[in-house]
Amino acid sequence: MDECFSQPVTGVAGRTILLLDRISPDYNHTQLLTGTKTRALNISSYNYLGFAQGRGGCADAVEEAIKRYGVSTLGARLEGGTSDLHMISEALVARFVGMEAALISSMGFATNSTFIPALVGKGCLVISDEFNHASIRFGVRLSGAHVRMFKHNNMENLEAILREAISQGQPKTHRPWKKILLIVEGLYSMEGTLVNLPVIMAFKKKYKFYLFVDEAHSIGALGPHGRGVADYFGIDPRSIDILMGTFTKSFGAAGGYIAGNKQLIDRLRVYGHSGPYAESMTPPVLTQVVASMASIMGVALPSLDGPSSGKSVVLAHGNGNGVGVGDEEYHHPGPAPPSALPTWLTLPPQLASGIEGLTRLRRLAFNSRYLHNGLIKLGFITYGHPASPIVPLLLFNPGKMNMFHRMMKDRQTPIVVVVVAYPATPLVTSRVRFCVSAAHTKEDVDMVLRACDEVGDVLDLKHGLRRGVRWGVDEVIEKAAELGSAGAN
Amino acid sequence: MNSTTATLAPLFNFLEYSLTTAQTTFDKLPGSAVIQRYVKSSHQNDPGRTLLELILIIFAIRTLLQSRTRADRSGKHFIKFSDKEIDELVDEWIPEPLAQPLSTTEESDLAALPIIAGPNGSKPKLVSTGKPTTNLASFNFTGLAGNEHIKQRAIETLRKYGLGSCGPPGFYGTLDVHMDLENDIADFLGAESAILYSQGFSTISSVIPAFCKRGDIIVADRSVNFALQKGIQISRSTVRWFDHNDLNSLEEVLISVEKERKKRRGPLTRRFIVTEGIFQKDGAMVDLPKLIELKYQYKYRLILDESYSFGTVGRTGRGLTELYNVPASKVDMLLGSCATGLASAGGFCAGSRTVIDHQRINGPSFVFSASMPALLAVAASEGINIFRNTPSIFATLQENVRAARAILDRVDCITIPSHPASPIIHIHVRQQSPAFLVPPPIHSTPTPSRSHYSSILSAKDVPGRDAEYDAEERLLQEVVEEALAQGVLVTRAKRLRGQEMVEPRPSIRLALTTALTKKETEKAVNVLKTVLVKVLGKKR
Ligand SMILES: Cc1ncc(COP(=O)(O)O)c(C=O)c1O
Repeated sequence: MDECFSQPVTGVAGRTILLLDRISPDYNHTQLLTGTKTRALNISSYNYLGFAQGRGGCADAVEEAIKRYGVSTLGARLEGGTSDLHMISEALVARFVGMEAALISSMGFATNSTFIPALVGKGCLVISDEFNHASIRFGVRLSGAHVRMFKHNNMENLEAILREAISQGQPKTHRPWKKILLIVEGLYSMEGTLVNLPVIMAFKKKYKFYLFVDEAHSIGALGPHGRGVADYFGIDPRSIDILMGTFTKSFGAAGGYIAGNKQLIDRLRVYGHSGPYAESMTPPVLTQVVASMASIMGVALPSLDGPSSGKSVVLAHGNGNGVGVGDEEYHHPGPAPPSALPTWLTLPPQLASGIEGLTRLRRLAFNSRYLHNGLIKLGFITYGHPASPIVPLLLFNPGKMNMFHRMMKDRQTPIVVVVVAYPATPLVTSRVRFCVSAAHTKEDVDMVLRACDEVGDVLDLKHGLRRGVRWGVDEVIEKAAELGSAGAN
Repeated sequence: MNSTTATLAPLFNFLEYSLTTAQTTFDKLPGSAVIQRYVKSSHQNDPGRTLLELILIIFAIRTLLQSRTRADRSGKHFIKFSDKEIDELVDEWIPEPLAQPLSTTEESDLAALPIIAGPNGSKPKLVSTGKPTTNLASFNFTGLAGNEHIKQRAIETLRKYGLGSCGPPGFYGTLDVHMDLENDIADFLGAESAILYSQGFSTISSVIPAFCKRGDIIVADRSVNFALQKGIQISRSTVRWFDHNDLNSLEEVLISVEKERKKRRGPLTRRFIVTEGIFQKDGAMVDLPKLIELKYQYKYRLILDESYSFGTVGRTGRGLTELYNVPASKVDMLLGSCATGLASAGGFCAGSRTVIDHQRINGPSFVFSASMPALLAVAASEGINIFRNTPSIFATLQENVRAARAILDRVDCITIPSHPASPIIHIHVRQQSPAFLVPPPIHSTPTPSRSHYSSILSAKDVPGRDAEYDAEERLLQEVVEEALAQGVLVTRAKRLRGQEMVEPRPSIRLALTTALTKKETEKAVNVLKTVLVKVLGKKR
């Protein structure tokens, strides 16, 4: 089993990845490095928009930052570790996600584990999706708030719990809850499922809870403008109380953010555990965040940065899932004004124009749907939303995990995959989890589909469709354009 | 009577029929014979036992079937409402606002936070004034900030690895440079193995729950830093506190734990001592040899946080183990920070291979978080190289510490709880008379008298303390702002008021650095001294 995990690598976690070969002299008890390397197609890293790069405009900006700032800001935010780059980055993040203010933390995990306790405490109730990330559970446990879990994405169950919680009040005393915080993820990393935001927003109106959305995997990866689930569903981000996300995925950086109104964010700066005690985010990481975000947003031309650019433009919603009406519609925040970037940072034209960012968003959206729908047509059972770049393929039998992993890695062009099982998922739903990237070409996805097709026959994994209605892999590849378009489902 | 039997006859028939069917089906199951035999024999021995076992099985099945997301209906406090009543209750419910606004003091403190323009280091410029300052606030103990060689190596690493690792260590996030840094740290400390986390704070709060579980015993210093407090809290272990940096008090607690166990004839549980090398909250230093002795005598494991002693004390910066000449292998879990000690980022735990490998599967913030950017790992490794090649920086750092203490120890209006060798120096306002706090001696000994830390009460429990701390905090903030106006950057030790185990006394926290010469250090500390005398003197 060890063989599938903690495979050491070197170099950029990009479209391909360089594995440090290991052998095990004692049946996987220990693993020894052989000193040789193998390049493999990487369908496992959270490199959704392909910003894990050692070259290009973002890396150039980071190099400049290292020259100017060095590698550290030498302290916690409240104790001499705040730099102008933090302020610039936080303003840009707030703009990117469409909130009034944002704060940045040097670790995604810590963003949840150290700030949630500043949001709720004794006498408060947290209602949490059962599949929420460990960092959320860590933070909630530290907060001292009472916790109720609801079945993953199950809105009836959520409503039942809301009704019960509000009507019953606090345990024993029946005092009303001070506040109720609903914590959900935008995109679930083991399931590939999307939060049912439209229904939750309707509940929110009725039941008056506060809403915290962890967009670790959805920010940058979802929505026509890459702004996450609010963008995807066409909902005004400001009607959500707290948007949290990480930079470790789509932005090829590290750390996380929390965004909300200014009063809330200022409070978190002072009452969150990170402010006085955790190291602040380092300049190279901040710069990667700023450069990648600005490339997705595009930077407004200085000449156009006139009176009109202050207004946000309502853009037609991209995917027909919009439910917002009136004021609550998604207002696209528009490109970043040049003044929002550090003066020394210049992005190359294709990044500054936002064209490349848009291309990456589209490529990611295509690859996601293509892989997802392709696997279904081949006869596999997958989980999750077709727009999700996380595509779990079910193996059911934990015994097949090792085999699947090895057969993919032993191919002529090796493919590295992530297999997950109990305790990360229920025992009977062992799965392979693919993460597609904008860095993948269509041919890369073709290759993954071909490999799955072959391995799936050997391991008998095609239980989704009867033999007669399955497609052959050549047919799938031929009809890629159809499978990868939003109209496909 | 007869008629009742007659009417019930079909029922009996049915029951008998189902029983036989159940019996035959049961017999067909593989292994059923074994169970039958077992039940029969145990029934013979003790009929009550069968019943008990049956109940146990039913209970186990119930527990298994119970969903984590079930409703609380069964509770005896449950009140049944109609839908309409629930709707009304929902309508009536008014939640508190999500966030209370900050107080005006909190707001002004936040606004007064210095923002550094450009690189941080020994002479950073501030955004607000554009003027350079002398930095006695940031953690740059050995002057690694801005080191050209480190920058060069960081850039090379950027080009080869990009910035982020895009995955947790278990899923293709383990890079060769992470393993290199782990080896460097282990080698440097003389430990068997080490593990790298991507943030110092989260290292600490994650290591404890990786080992300590419900039912285990943690004996901890009352004044451990916040990250340790949180780690202890989340572990749900049984905690016993000993007086701050008082190893006699520790021993008393160890003895009483042992007594209790014997009295209750409880099983041996896993037991841990949790404390710090140099304490974040006051710069006091633990007497490591004595601590090790106690740990062996009473058979505890030691979790020692060296975030402020690793990379700062000891002849070559190896921390407390070097300073006291104790092999690092005697500390079971030695925690340190690459952010404070190596001017990079992240944290580590060093220990035996078993201890480290355990964390790779059980350390929450290791398993569930992306690994550290490659270039920060390389920067930390380069820091260790520099320690190895120029150990003289630690002598220089000590000279600066001594120079600063020589000035500050003579200032009447303050007290300093920090150890004379500590590169972080805390400054308290000297208490005038209140009886509940005896001012610590100017050169605090490693084990200060019990009395002055004996209070386990939080500020709220001591009448007047909240107000007193408030007043001290305002004075110190005034010192900070006045010093800044005179070009010296210092900071109050920022705290989470109301959230700490023991409300620490307000202090100004200095961090000395080799990036300033002795002269520069003295000059800056003299400025601070003048400001302290002026601001604190005014109030007397
Ligand atoms: C939902 C969610 N929140 C938070 C995190 C933690 O982020 P990071 O890896 O940046 O620490 C993750 C990462 O796996 C995640 O999936």
